[in-house]
Amino acid sequence: MRSVGDIMVVGLKDGFKMFGISIMTCCAVTVCNMFMNYYLDLTAVENLVTGEYARAFYDAQLMNSKVVCSVSGGCLLATTVIMLFFYIGHYINSHGMEIGILKALGYSDIKIAKGFSVFGASVFSGCIVGYLLSFSLMPKFYELQNEEGLLPDISPNFHLPLFLWTVIAPAGFFALIAVGHSLIKLKQPCVNLLKGIARTKGKNRNVKDKKNFISDMRSSVLRSRKTLVFFIAFSSFCFGTMIQMSSSMRELSSDMMGIMIFIIGIALAFTTLYIALTAVIKSNLKNITMMRIFGYSAGECKRSVLDGYRPAAYIGFLIGSVYQYILLKIMVEIVFSEIEGIPAEFNFDFPVFFIVLLSFIIIYEGIMLIYGSGMRKIPLKQIMSE
Amino acid sequence: MITVKNLTKYYGTGDNKFKALDGVSVNINEGDFVVILGASGSGKSTFLNVISGLERPDGGNIDYDGKKLENMNERELTEFRKNNTAFIFQQYYLLPHLNVDKNVKMGAALDKNKDYKKYIEAVGLGDKIKKFPSELSGGEQQRVSIARALAKNPKVLFLDEPTGALDEKTGRQILDYIIKLHKEQGFTMIMVTHNQNIAETANKIIKMNSGKITEMHENKNIKSAYEIGW
Repeated sequence: MRSVGDIMVVGLKDGFKMFGISIMTCCAVTVCNMFMNYYLDLTAVENLVTGEYARAFYDAQLMNSKVVCSVSGGCLLATTVIMLFFYIGHYINSHGMEIGILKALGYSDIKIAKGFSVFGASVFSGCIVGYLLSFSLMPKFYELQNEEGLLPDISPNFHLPLFLWTVIAPAGFFALIAVGHSLIKLKQPCVNLLKGIARTKGKNRNVKDKKNFISDMRSSVLRSRKTLVFFIAFSSFCFGTMIQMSSSMRELSSDMMGIMIFIIGIALAFTTLYIALTAVIKSNLKNITMMRIFGYSAGECKRSVLDGYRPAAYIGFLIGSVYQYILLKIMVEIVFSEIEGIPAEFNFDFPVFFIVLLSFIIIYEGIMLIYGSGMRKIPLKQIMSE
Repeated sequence: MITVKNLTKYYGTGDNKFKALDGVSVNINEGDFVVILGASGSGKSTFLNVISGLERPDGGNIDYDGKKLENMNERELTEFRKNNTAFIFQQYYLLPHLNVDKNVKMGAALDKNKDYKKYIEAVGLGDKIKKFPSELSGGEQQRVSIARALAKNPKVLFLDEPTGALDEKTGRQILDYIIKLHKEQGFTMIMVTHNQNIAETANKIIKMNSGKITEMHENKNIKSAYEIGW
């Protein structure tokens, strides 16, 4: 928080700290802009496409662009909205004291909420980087899309409406929903914000008794932050989908497409996992410290705070594996069915699945171990001096 | 028996380095109730942190019945805390998403104590076992933290300003609970406070200033929580 004029608001620096949102929007805009720009440039030369085979290829390319845009863009947009809501909730919880003081001093909810519009800055920065990145990749992408020369040669053109829709509109849209969502979150008595009551009230009503305390704690941690379960599952979903898809795309499309999907998959998976795990640790810092003070080992703390997410992570990975298979099957057997060089059917690639699964297990469990050993380093005396 | 010899602790570096504990030595017998008095910055909380194994000393020895705390590695210190100590803090630090029963279970589980509910009854919260910390008053939350600490059957109980955030009536009530349970169970109790009146309930009083013990004496005239001023 910082002071601007007469009111403390969320600073621009805070907005840019939401790098997870920036990475997410960057990936979404890179993919969507590349395919939509290609779509627009291709429709401009529709009259030049002659011959039945070229026409089928042309239609398939248009369909492909629409599918990729709606699937990747839609998924990433939904995830970004959830991530933004999560960030705002987390921000209000962790800055409850300052916001509560502002409310106590008489600042209205709308005046405080306006400050949250700076979260649109993180979206804008991601969008502009994604937009520029997509333009730098476009010449090569266009060339690969028409490798066999079935379509007229086209080069990337600038489309102002597309720029407005992929850069300006998302920034404005996210700024607006940030204000709207924070307004909802701020609608609580300032004493609740000051005491942090919103964070705990009414949660875990129906938690069943478990055999031991670690299990009780694990289910309590899971229930207290359900959004994080989604993020961890989404992270594994991205990993499972994108890494396996990148392998198939190298055969079906090109190395460039394969590498691009691989990079996006890795970036999304690690960003969301990092954000989720950091949030888990931060929101449980006092609980972990108390457990350590009472004599629970770092391993027991890890088991109670982090291990509950494991099923979500593996389920996310499995759903991702099935999802990429269905998506590619539809693409190959329906969209590209009439195109030469594309196999008539698409089968699940078990060897790749097992290699990616093994990599996933090693990476996921390795990251959990690193975070778990970090719990050993939490200074215990801090809680005494608060 | 806890024997502390020539304990030193520094904070900061370079020009900002200062001595938080300056050669502190003390003997605490099993079953003692020790109150450490001192103003803010006197070193009393640092002393509590160090002798409870939450922080490492820079010099000196801490001996718990022959076990040298300063020689223990992190794993051994965790094991030591698990088997010997419990804590009660001014701010309670209950686990917010767990109800009273499970908060107390946190302490009990370390001692495999399945009979922990008796402590909830003992602190008068038997009817609030399913309540969450946010649904309890400050005094009730502190009673939960007492039950949590005692449910692990500690040999030494450390208390950091346990009544500091409570009003007089609740503060006396909490102090009374603690003293009663201390008498019943006979564990050693070390309490840090700035409230001089509370010291009258202890059998040993230590006064600290600038990281040093300035006064230490046995209290022959032990009073109850309701007999002292506030």
